[in-house]
Parts: sequence; C-alpha cells; structure tokens
Amino acid sequence: MALTQVSSNKCFDGFQKVFEHDSTELKCKMRFGIYLPPKAESGKCPVLYWLSGLTCTEQNFITKAGSQQEAAEHGIIIVCPDTSPRGCNIEGEDESWDFGTGAGFYVNATEDQWKVNYRMYSYITEELPHLISSNFPADSERMSISGHSMGGHGALICALKNPGKYKSVSAFAPICNPMQCPWGQKAFNGYLGSDKSKWESYDATVLVSAYSGPQLDILIDQGRDDQFLAAGQLLPDNFIAACTEKKTPVVFRLQQGYDHSYYFVCSFISNHIKHHAKYLNA
Amino acid sequence: MSNEDVEAIPPSSSPAMLDETTKEYLFSTDEGTLSKASAEAQVPTAHLDIGPEGLSFYNMDLYESRERLDIFTEELSSSRTEDEQFTAMEDSNESRPRTEEEEYDLYTAEVSEMARQYGIWDDKEDMEMGFQTQEPFVMVTQKQEPAVLDIKTWGEEPVKGEPKERGAGEKRDSIHKTPAVDEGGSMEHHEPCYPSEGDEPQSHEQYVGQRQYSEEAFKEEEWEEEGSQAMKASRGDTQIGEFVGFSAKTQEDLTMDMDNPEDAFRASEHTHDLEEEQPGAQAGGEDEVPDVFCMECKIAIRAFDKVFGSHKDHQVTKLSIAAEDTKVEIHKTMCKLEEQIAQMENFASHLEEIFITVEENFGRQEQNLEQHYNEVIQTLTQRYEDKTSGLEDEKKQKLEKLYSQLVNCGKTLDISKDLIEAAQEICRNEDKLAFLQVAVPTVERIEEYTASDPDLKLSASLEFENDAIDFSDVRQMMDSINIVPAPSAPVINPQTPNSSTSTSVRVCWSLFSDDTVEYYELYYKPVLEGTTADENEEQDASMVKVKETYCTVLNLVPNTQYKFWVTALNTTGISPASERAVYMTVPSPPVIKKKLCRSCPNAALIRWESGNTNPVDSYTVELCEISRERSETAVTESIVGIPTYESVIQLLSGRSYLIYVRAVNIGGPSERSDPVIIYTTGTFFRLNEDTAHPSLAISEDGFTMFYGDEYTELNDITFSDNTFSRCVAIMGELIPIRGKHYWEVEVEEHTEYRIGVAYEDTQRNGYLGANNTSWCMRHVMTPSRHKYEFLHNGSTPDIRITMHPKRIGVSLDYETGKLAFFNTGLSQHIYTYKCHFLHYVHPCFALEKPGALTVHNGIEAPEYITFS
Repeated sequence: MALTQVSSNKCFDGFQKVFEHDSTELKCKMRFGIYLPPKAESGKCPVLYWLSGLTCTEQNFITKAGSQQEAAEHGIIIVCPDTSPRGCNIEGEDESWDFGTGAGFYVNATEDQWKVNYRMYSYITEELPHLISSNFPADSERMSISGHSMGGHGALICALKNPGKYKSVSAFAPICNPMQCPWGQKAFNGYLGSDKSKWESYDATVLVSAYSGPQLDILIDQGRDDQFLAAGQLLPDNFIAACTEKKTPVVFRLQQGYDHSYYFVCSFISNHIKHHAKYLNA
Repeated sequence: MSNEDVEAIPPSSSPAMLDETTKEYLFSTDEGTLSKASAEAQVPTAHLDIGPEGLSFYNMDLYESRERLDIFTEELSSSRTEDEQFTAMEDSNESRPRTEEEEYDLYTAEVSEMARQYGIWDDKEDMEMGFQTQEPFVMVTQKQEPAVLDIKTWGEEPVKGEPKERGAGEKRDSIHKTPAVDEGGSMEHHEPCYPSEGDEPQSHEQYVGQRQYSEEAFKEEEWEEEGSQAMKASRGDTQIGEFVGFSAKTQEDLTMDMDNPEDAFRASEHTHDLEEEQPGAQAGGEDEVPDVFCMECKIAIRAFDKVFGSHKDHQVTKLSIAAEDTKVEIHKTMCKLEEQIAQMENFASHLEEIFITVEENFGRQEQNLEQHYNEVIQTLTQRYEDKTSGLEDEKKQKLEKLYSQLVNCGKTLDISKDLIEAAQEICRNEDKLAFLQVAVPTVERIEEYTASDPDLKLSASLEFENDAIDFSDVRQMMDSINIVPAPSAPVINPQTPNSSTSTSVRVCWSLFSDDTVEYYELYYKPVLEGTTADENEEQDASMVKVKETYCTVLNLVPNTQYKFWVTALNTTGISPASERAVYMTVPSPPVIKKKLCRSCPNAALIRWESGNTNPVDSYTVELCEISRERSETAVTESIVGIPTYESVIQLLSGRSYLIYVRAVNIGGPSERSDPVIIYTTGTFFRLNEDTAHPSLAISEDGFTMFYGDEYTELNDITFSDNTFSRCVAIMGELIPIRGKHYWEVEVEEHTEYRIGVAYEDTQRNGYLGANNTSWCMRHVMTPSRHKYEFLHNGSTPDIRITMHPKRIGVSLDYETGKLAFFNTGLSQHIYTYKCHFLHYVHPCFALEKPGALTVHNGIEAPEYITFS
C-alpha cells in the first residue's frame, strides 16, 4: 500500500497532490488526486469522493472543476480516483471511449475477461477509503460522494448501496438509469453479462426504490443544453419519478443553457461542496 | 488622622469641656496629631494601628472604665508570675536558662521590632523628647517588665489608655507607665538610658535567630499572646473567667483594628488557638492537666475532681465543647459591643450636630436680645431727656408767670397804699370846703379803683402738666423683644432633576439665615399659554402652608408647567414674595404599541404613543435583560433623547429583554411604561393587515391567513392604495435592519402559494415574483406534478423537488444578498436567490387557491442555513 507522490502543488493554502499506488482490487497501478485543505494540517477532515465521468482520469476534476477554494473554506479533503484500471492489457480495453479504459462504470465486473481488474466499485467503496484514512488526516466516519456523468451514476449507486456510509450524495448530470440508456447497457452487458437482474444492483433508479437507510438529501444539477440529456443517456426524470414515488428528497436543478462539460461542473461545484459540507461538518 | 482629630476635638465651647478636663482633652488631642510636643510617644503607635477612623474617639469613651484599669494594674502586679511562666516556656523551647534582663531584652526587642514593622517611631525627635521626659517611668517599667508583654498583648492598649488619662486624672501615674513601657520597647535606640542595655542589640539578634522568628508582625503577636496566655493561665483557675473576658477583648481589639475581615478571621482563629493552648500552658504550672470543664464553677478541672473533688456534683463538659461555647458567647458579646459602638457613634455625631445647632441658635438669640434691649434703653434715655427738658420748660414758664403776678400784686398794693394815704391826707384837711373839693374826686377815684376786684387767682397751676408718663411704646418694645422682625423674601430654587412626578413636584426654597419664620405660604398656578400679564396672579393661585423649606405639591396635571412663589411669615409679619419659579411635572408614561414592535436577533423596533396631550421633549428607552439566573431586572442600557415615537435598539441575539419607555421633559423622566418583552432568538414580525387582499382573512393571533372558498365580488370591494388588489397577498412588517432574518411558513401539501419578499412599494396590482420588486417561491399543482417556481421578474429556474415541504424556511441575508428557501422538515436546501437588495424588503405571502398559510417567526435560524 505504498503511496508514491506524483505531484504536489500548493493551492488555497492547502495542497493539491497526486499519488500513485498499487491497487490490490484492480491489480494495477492507480493514481488519485487528493486535495488537502489547510485545516488538514491541524486535524482530521471529512472526505468527499469525486467520481469522474467517461474518458476522464484523476486530472480532469482537479484541473477543471475549481473545487479547491470551497474545499479549503469548509475544510474538506477531496479525493479524485481514476475512472478505470489502466494498462491491464485486456483485449478490447482501449477499443472504445465508453467501455474499458476510462469507462469502469464503478461496477465489480463479473465477466471472466474483466472480473480480475475491473472492480471499481470495491476500489471506490473499500480500498480507496482505507488507503486514504490510513495515509492522510481523514475522518473515516465522515465521507460523502459526488460525481459527474458516469461518476454521478457511480456516486448515486455507492450511496444507495451503502446506507449510512456516505453522509451525503450529489451529482452533476448523472447517468440516472443506466439499464435504460445505451452507455449503461453497453457497459453492463460487457462487465456483468446479459443477466439484467445483475444490472439492477448497479442502477440508481432501481436502487432508490429499494433503498432503506438514513434519509438521503440528494442534490442533482443538470444542464438543460446537455447533448447527452437530449440523447437519452442520462434519464433524470426516471430517477426523480422513482424518488418522488419513494419520497426520497431530491433537489433537481435543470440549469438553463448549460451543457455536459466541466464548465457546467465548475459553475455549480461550490453549491455541491456546500451541500456536502452541511452534512460533513454538521 | 485628620478625621480623627475632627472627631476628637469638639468645638471649643463644647459642653463637655469642663475646665478641669480641658487640659486632658487637649493632651490627648496632641497625641492624636502625632504629638510633636507630647510626652506620650507611644500614642502615634496606637493611632496608626487603629483601623476605622473616628472609632478611637468613641473607643475612648467606651473603654474608659475602671474595670479596664483594674485589669491593667492586676496584670502589672501579677507580672512576676507571668514572667516566670514565660521564662519556663522559653526554657522548654530552647533548654537554655535566661536571666530576667535577657527576657526583658527579648520583650523589648520584640516590641521595638513590632514598632518598626508597624512603621512607627520613625520620628526620632519625638521619641527622644518622649524618652527624656519619661525617663523616670522607664525605670519603673524596667522593674515591671512583663507589663510590656501585657501592653502588646492588649494590642491597642495605648489608645484605650488615653481616655483613662482623660477621665481619671488621679490615675495618671499608673497610666504614664503605659507610654513608658512602650518607650522601653524602643529602648535599644537609647542605650545609655537603659540600665541593662549592654547586650541588647545582640540579644535581639540572638533572639531572632534562636526562635527562627518570622518577621511577620502577626506571628509575633501570636507568640506574644501565647506567652500572655500562658501567664494568665498560670494565675490559677480563678483567673480563667477573667481570662475569657480578656481574650474577648483581645479578639475584639484585633477585629476592630483590622479592616480586612480575613485578618479578623485570623484573629479570631488566633484567639481560638490561644484557648486551646490554655490547658497546655496550665500544665506548666501544675502537674496534672485539667480535662473537663465545670459548668457551675466555670473553670477547667481535672476529671478526677469531678469524681472526688470539690466539683463532685457539678455538671461538667468537655473542654473543647466548653471552649467552643465560650467562644460563641464571646462572639455574641463582641457583636453586641460592636453594635453598641455603632449606635454610640451615630448618637454622638447626632449630638454633635445638635450641639452646634443649639449653640448657634442661642448665639443668635443673645444677639437679638442685646439688640432689642439696646433699643429699649435708647428709647428710655430719649424719653428721659425729653421728659426732663419738658419739666424744665414748664418750671421756667410757671415761675415766670408767678413772678409777673407777684410783681402785679406789688403794684396793686402800692396803688392801694397811695390811695389810703391820699384819703388820710384829705381827711386831715380841716377845711371843709377844701376838703370837700378835694374829697369828691378822690372818693371817685377810690371807688373806681375798688370797683375792680383784685385778681387773686394763681396765674400758674401748681399741678404738673403731663404728669402721666406714657410707657406704652416702651412696653411694646419690651414685649417685642422676643418677637423677631418680619422675614425677608425667601429665595425659591429652580427645579432640580428627579424632583417631580407626573402629578407632583417638590419645590424647595431657602431663607436668609437670620430670619425667623413660622411658616411659609407657597403659591402656585399652571402656566397657561397666552396669559402673560402678572396681574391678578395671586387671585386664582393655589396656596399651601408649610413649615419646611420644601414642599411636595400633589394633584398636579402631568407634563405641565407651574409657576411657584413663596412668602415667609412669622408673628411679626409677612415677607415679600419670592421670585416666580417655573416647575414642570413630568409626563405621563408612554404606551408601547406592542402590536407594532418587531425584532430580529440583533435589534428591536419599539413603537409607542406619547401618553400625553402636550408634546414632551424626548423619550428614553430602557432595556432589562431577563436572565434565567437572576430574577431581578436591572436596567442594563438606556437610550436617551429619542425625539420620535419609535426607536430601533441594538440587542444581543438569543436573549430576552424587557423594554420600557419613558417620556422626558425638563421636569425629568416619567414613570416607565408597561414593558414589552422582546426575544432575540429569531426575527419577529407581524402581518400588515392594511396590505391584505380583501379575500384574505387573518386569524385572531395575526399569523394565519385564509383564502376562503366563497366567491367575492371584487367589484364591491374598495381597494386602498396599500392593498394587494390582484394577487391574494399580504405583506409582513420586517424590522428595517440589514442583517439576517429567518422565518418559516406552514403549508399544506396541496396549497398553492407564493412565499417570498418584496420591496415595500412593490406593485399592489401585480403578482408576487412577476416583477423586479419581489422574489417568491411559488407552488402550483399541475395535472402531472407539484411544480415549484422561484420567481423574480417573471422568470424561474427549473427546479424539481421530490419531497413536498410542509414547512418552508425562508432565510434573508442582506449582507450576502441571499434569499434562501428550505424544506425545514428535511433540513433540505431548496433554492437560493442571489440579489442585491437596494431597499428593505418585507415578507410576502399569497394564496393562489383557497387554503391557508401560517407564519411562524421568532424562531432561531437553524445551523444548516449557512450552507446555502
């Protein structure tokens, strides 16, 4: 579990760092970005896990989202893992941008070809938190999760599958109902096989109906001019309907004029960090 | 010291100052003033140690008793025993025999040590002088050395000694020993005068070294007292009762001399120690230790005695209990004595005042008498002179008259004689014819002459004219000797602060000090606008007769000016009237308009009515913070000089306040109004029903609004300018403070509403949120779903919420320019407006369909609203 520091840059009195380590779950070298707020120098801080979207690495969020200022202010550590195992030499790994490398979909693969390395769900929910709490001044009792697009899907399922583990959850333009959208179907089919009952355990819309645990307060921002919204990849309405049905509190904000990019993310990231801070710092 | 002097030196004409004692008195006074010329060098010592100033004066009297003297002399006589005892103790401590001289040296050293510590005897001249004059006494003292011990033990003994000198002159000799003894204490500075001084400084050091002596004065005292205790005890059981008295004295002295109660406490503890020490000390004198206390004989005895001895049937108690009881008694006695001292002090100062007054009064009376008698004597002298000169005149006049009458008589006699002679002459004429010729005219002449009767009446009366002397005016003067002149016009004082209430004023005046006044007549009448003339003023004025130079005039009208003037009267007459002085009654208290008061966590807006018909000068707002710990509500802050009928008062958040208002005019502040209670836990406002749409009904408590089902014909309704005419809305009245505000609104799931804020002048004929002067969260039901809009200027972001709030929290923060909405049931942040509020905004509520909304305010803003 040795961590190798790849980079360290002072940022808003804290440090934005990148580390590399050998992942036991993923059987490969993995990198993650971590922002340590100034408060981390004097005590333990809560952790917000940020799950990025398709094609992203640990770099996208830390360079584009502009989350550090708000994180520094609220004393929150932000951990940004990569989106999939890399360099595993699996056949077809790099064939498409929406499957394989950069598209781990935060599931534990069950198909033979992928099941050794593509265990992003366990990596995110088990290995990484353990790694963080044992190497950084992180309060393992206080963690939240958020993400963008595929990462939004990841954040939702992690929260819904682990009641109480995350104090709060939010998402930017999440893939809300992957079973019903082309991206999700391709990925689930590839990683989990054709048995759709297996898919259900990684579908937020399905999971929310079965959720039982501490009340969640889900914040979702969605750009109205998001091309993938129009393409039916994200399907927030299905999720909202399920939540309304289940009386799960969701604030869903359809932001006029915004698209799917990190420009959209950085426009509202401070709202989301505040949302998490409300629960993490309560 | 100076105070003490004042206390100690009564006016020179003090009645207490009998010739005999005058000298004594002055003597002690000299001592009191550090006695430059006094022989008693010890006196300053005593005075320096005296705690409360002025107490000494009465101490002198109080402790001026034979008993004290007796005790004193007794101790002197028993000093030998004490000394032995003391020596024994010393020996037991140090196992080194010591001569009497050495002992004395020790004492002396100790005393001087103490003296130095008390910071006295720094005036060498005084000391020397004192020493020289007291030399003989030093010798005496030397032989009675334990007296030193005594004196120091007695603490402030010299002070007590003073009155003895004063009161009992015959005791002088023995008393002079006291200073002498203290002189002895300082003897080391004057070696030649002291027979056994040879090794004295050395012995002092030795003493210090051997005893590991603390430099602390208190300890020294303690040690000394132990010694004296021991010696007391050694005098035998019969002395114990007295000893108790003695220690009480000691304790009292200490207590009185120490301003610091802690010291007093220590002192009493100290006494306690002494008492406990007692049995042990006695053991030095006897072989067996008394272990019980005989209640009947009041002495400590051995238990053996209880069983077999003379105390056989006596009730006994444990020594410790007996000591405790005795201590309690002593303490009680002490308390009583202290009370007495206080009483006597009061009484004495009162007496002094009376003394001065009486003296002055008599002086004045004497003067008066003298003046009057002088007048009378002058008048009498004048009268005498007038009278004597009158008599002289009368005498002269009468004598002159009598004389002239006498002269006339002589003349008449002469004429008559002539006539007789002439007749005789004629008669002698023999010649008949000649005779007849001559006789006829002569006879005619005589007849003519005798025809007029001679005037034999006295021309002047023998009686005195005005022989009755009129003394009536003198008598009147005599009578009026006791009558003083009519007083001069009193001087009426201007109104002083806090001298009036809403219905009364206290008027004060003064008179010239020589005047004697039986009573005053105080006239007053209200000052009316427009009446300037002073004539007829007396006629409709009210009048009260008072004996004092002040009067509280009652039953006046609040907030009104009154003219006052006063005349002084005595038996002689009435003075001219004083100047007119205008006094003003204070206003009636204002009335707080509780329904119009509003608050937020850091301020409150208080509104009130004057409560007076006439205008007042200003208003004062008083705050009392109500705390849970303290029940009393002291005014913690006052805001004065408020010219208007409202005020915004800065407060601390999370507190409760009682707020009062007073109206103020030149007469002073009114009574305070009934309070309004302000809680600064949250923002508190009320709905302004003037703005309510006619279809909107407001509950009795003013916080719930209903939009009824019944259709109202809008044409029948008249709208005021302030009324919402289109949107069924109402506006609240938020306190105008650019801070943070929070309130909540209770809604039903299917209620269609608009909740938000608007500028006060937002269009009344528009919908909330449809313009740029209002911001509101709107909830409407569409066929498919609940729709939530966050309207401003007619547009809304697209926000969907999956849970329908039952209670909406609204947070307004002027500083950050944020208006945020929350689902309070979930602590869920729903939406935040970011806008710069140019003016103050007020909460607004509207119902789109029949239903109800309830406003909850005065509640603390939840923590989570900061994350919005």
